[in-house]
Amino acid sequence: MNYHWNWHIFFEPSPNGTGTYLDMLLSGLMVTIVTSLAAWVIALATGAIVGVMRTLPSKVANFFGFCYVEFFRNMPLLVQLFLWFFVLPELLPHAWGLWLKQLPNAPFYTAAIGTGLFMSARVAEQTRAGINSLPRGQKMAATALGLRTAQVYRYVLLPISFRIILPPLTSEFLSTIKNTSVALTIGLIELTAEARAMQEFSFQVFEAFTAATVLYLLINIVVVIAMHFVERRVAIPGYISGK
Amino acid sequence: MIEISHVDKWYGTTFQALKDCTTSVAKGEVVVVCGPSGSGKSTLIKCVNVLEPFQKGTITVDGVSVGDPRTNLPKLRARVGMVFQHFELFPHLRIIDNLCLAQEKVLGRPHADAIAKASKLLDRVGLKDHAEKYPAQLSGGQQQRVAIARALAMDPIAMLFDEPTSALDPEMISEVLDVMVDLARDGMTMMVVTHEMGFASKVANRVIFMDQGEVVEDAIKTDFFDKPRSERAQKFLSKILSH
Repeated sequence: MNYHWNWHIFFEPSPNGTGTYLDMLLSGLMVTIVTSLAAWVIALATGAIVGVMRTLPSKVANFFGFCYVEFFRNMPLLVQLFLWFFVLPELLPHAWGLWLKQLPNAPFYTAAIGTGLFMSARVAEQTRAGINSLPRGQKMAATALGLRTAQVYRYVLLPISFRIILPPLTSEFLSTIKNTSVALTIGLIELTAEARAMQEFSFQVFEAFTAATVLYLLINIVVVIAMHFVERRVAIPGYISGK
Repeated sequence: MIEISHVDKWYGTTFQALKDCTTSVAKGEVVVVCGPSGSGKSTLIKCVNVLEPFQKGTITVDGVSVGDPRTNLPKLRARVGMVFQHFELFPHLRIIDNLCLAQEKVLGRPHADAIAKASKLLDRVGLKDHAEKYPAQLSGGQQQRVAIARALAMDPIAMLFDEPTSALDPEMISEVLDVMVDLARDGMTMMVVTHEMGFASKVANRVIFMDQGEVVEDAIKTDFFDKPRSERAQKFLSKILSH
């Protein structure tokens, strides 16, 4: 292989005039972080609601939750992003569609919401599994004390089940971060997109993707460590992983 | 206080769990419900505060029909204490918070009042020193006494006990029964599903014997133990009293 290694490339100015190649990658990293956080907030919030719906006695709520989960988890993320970005504006009334297409930062919003909804189906299933893993008597005891259904979930079922599903939720958070890279296909200039741009400008493909790999690894390690502390912090003394 | 009249309950469409059950618990009365497993005694007691719905018949608590769709069930449940076989303390809350949760969220008591009430009741069941602990750090007998205190914190007009000692190690049964005997002597209206015939003969006013979803016998205590009329009750008694 005739490859000219050049690790100094990161400190050379990039042709897009915004600084060095390193600055390019770091700005991509910022976009990745912000998009991931926004997507994760959406995934957690809607996932928790849909997961709860799937445990309610109401058949209507159950059916809605079922359809939601199957819709969002059975289509590839890439197809979903294309749907939101290219197809949705055409399906809406003309004026709305136009407004959507002209929205500044449309790739960011689409990526955050699209990835968020895709991940929310998975969060919903985790939430449902967590709630269903609790003894039936917990719900009964809370109900027997006079708590209304919303209070039973808010004060008893959810605080316990979220502690139980914290480890798999960490994995879902990591997946969310990695999945935002798919958004480069709709024009989001995040970390992977910046690495590709660097490769195209400089032909230093190995350096560019080594840097991207290291940066992804770093943010994921930060998340893993942070979640480890959260797990320790909320552990229930004497219960499951508590001490 | 509790009037149960001609109650039928089916699980699904085929299995009838309760067949034309009629009985009552007067104010200040202690009624023990016994019978072989699967006889419907737990189901019956759970119908009183509608933790289990029933299809036919009526149950009234303090004059309020519990099956009436207009009845405010959370409000009614808050007035009827319930103790479960597996304690069902909320594992993520300290003992003191287990006692305060429903006082504050259901009755709207100020935090300080709830704490005061909780401390008084913990003292009464002999667990004042454990207020700051979590449920998993207590023994089964201690947890069940906390569960009784939690129910009493709501100032109930009646108490339901669903096999409160069945999940306990033998050496812990008496500490729970002692609390219940105290409660009975204080004039609490109690409906108790239990196999503890010693408890029944000590404090019960009446004993109800159930088998296969039917109330087979409903007699004052002395009659039940001395001369049970039905063959099934005689058989049951001979089995559990023979050792």
